[in-house]
Amino acid sequence: MDQRNFLYMFYGFAAAWAILALYVLTLVARERRLRSQIQTLQRMLEEKEQNK
Amino acid sequence: MKLLREVCVVAGKDLRSEFRTKECLNAALSFAIVILVLFSFAVDPSSEQIREMSGGLLWLAFAFAGALILNQSFARELPNDCLDALVASPVSAAALFLGKAAANWLLLMIVELVCLPVFGVLYNMSWLGQWPLLLLVFLLASWGVTVIGTMFSALTVNLRLRELMLPTLIYPMMIPALMAAMQLTTVLIATSGVPPEDWIWVRLLVGFDIIFTSLAIALAEVVLLG
Amino acid sequence: MTRERVLYLMGGISAIWLVRNLYVMLLALPDEVEQGAIYRILFFHVPSWFTCFTGFFLAAVASGLYLKTKNSLWDTLAVASVEVGVAFTLVGLATGSIWARIIWGIWWTWDARLTWALITCLVYMGYLMLRGAFDDPTSRAKNAAVLCIFAFTSVVITFKAIDWWRTQHPGAVLSIRTGGGRIDPAMEQMIYQNWPALMLLAAVLVAIRMRQETMQRELEALRRRTHAF
Repeated sequence: MDQRNFLYMFYGFAAAWAILALYVLTLVARERRLRSQIQTLQRMLEEKEQNK
Repeated sequence: MKLLREVCVVAGKDLRSEFRTKECLNAALSFAIVILVLFSFAVDPSSEQIREMSGGLLWLAFAFAGALILNQSFARELPNDCLDALVASPVSAAALFLGKAAANWLLLMIVELVCLPVFGVLYNMSWLGQWPLLLLVFLLASWGVTVIGTMFSALTVNLRLRELMLPTLIYPMMIPALMAAMQLTTVLIATSGVPPEDWIWVRLLVGFDIIFTSLAIALAEVVLLG
Repeated sequence: MTRERVLYLMGGISAIWLVRNLYVMLLALPDEVEQGAIYRILFFHVPSWFTCFTGFFLAAVASGLYLKTKNSLWDTLAVASVEVGVAFTLVGLATGSIWARIIWGIWWTWDARLTWALITCLVYMGYLMLRGAFDDPTSRAKNAAVLCIFAFTSVVITFKAIDWWRTQHPGAVLSIRTGGGRIDPAMEQMIYQNWPALMLLAAVLVAIRMRQETMQRELEALRRRTHAF
């Protein structure tokens, strides 16, 4: 019982941190996606303006 | 007084156009009855146990059927830009919203009052024992459901995925009203009288109606006029 | 770049604080008499619920201010705090569930507090979903703001559920609500230590998410410009 009690406490802490870490990872991924998309669009705009 | 007259005009318009085609009403009614029949396969319909889940069965059917009515409430105004015309009319936004909610409320009540006897017959259940209280619960809970539903129907009317979005958004929001309605309906059908610990559900229902009606009236202008 | 530096500083302080809290709760505080080691989950469970409630409250206020001023900054704040709030809601649900597995022997039970907590989670996920369905930023902000104000009622009910119903979930323990005596002062102190640390972390996440939302707006504006050609 005591062993299991301690183990589940560890699971609880791990779950809390894992969820927050997962959220941070989604934030990082979104940041990267947004930056690359903005860059692509800016390049497209520049090209179009030069061709005009 | 002016508000009340405007509400009646809008509700009357909605009900008149609904009763001319009966599109929504027929769809919602037959859908609710189909669900009630389907439940007989999910649980043993002859058991005593069904009495204890009567409220749950009924209100699930009403909630599903209600979504059909609510979906059409504002979508009906989309062709020919009727919604813009309504918004441009001298009727206030609150009256417009309350009128639409009142029309939906009446339609939902019709569905409920037709389904209740059908349910009683199909599952061999007497529900007349405390009908005044039962009617009160139905009136209060349906108003809660329609106020939330009409509001969200207005929010989602311009979306491509409207039919999907509306149920996903409204069911979690409606849970307080649905939970109270299920609990009270079961108690009123299965037992005699409401035990004191269940009065919390009546209070919850009344509180839900008051809070969401005032929120909806306060926000109607923003939602409808932008 | 100063803004960036402030965020790093806040994140650093929060990290140090959280590690220090971990040290205290694991090594300095004794096991609880009835529950054993598992009670320490409380130190994450309660503060993360407080954090998400604060986030949802902030989002409701920001939504109201958006509807009043039509300043898109408020909408940005609302979406950021809802999203971070949902992350903390999930932490609260997960930690609570693991605690319940030991103490009650089950992962989940349908008592009032747990049910409302789950409803709150679903409602705010619906909020995030609704935002994704709009193409036009103005109507997205307006309709999401209205939903956000409606959604806050479920937070209030979740918070008061332990007073309104007899629940399996433990009743209020913090002395601000009970007048004291329900919890050991040292343990209560720990909750108040971990809450601001998590709030600081949440504030950093909200700030990052707000910047992303601004970038998203820029992106949408760029898209419209490229289509205009």
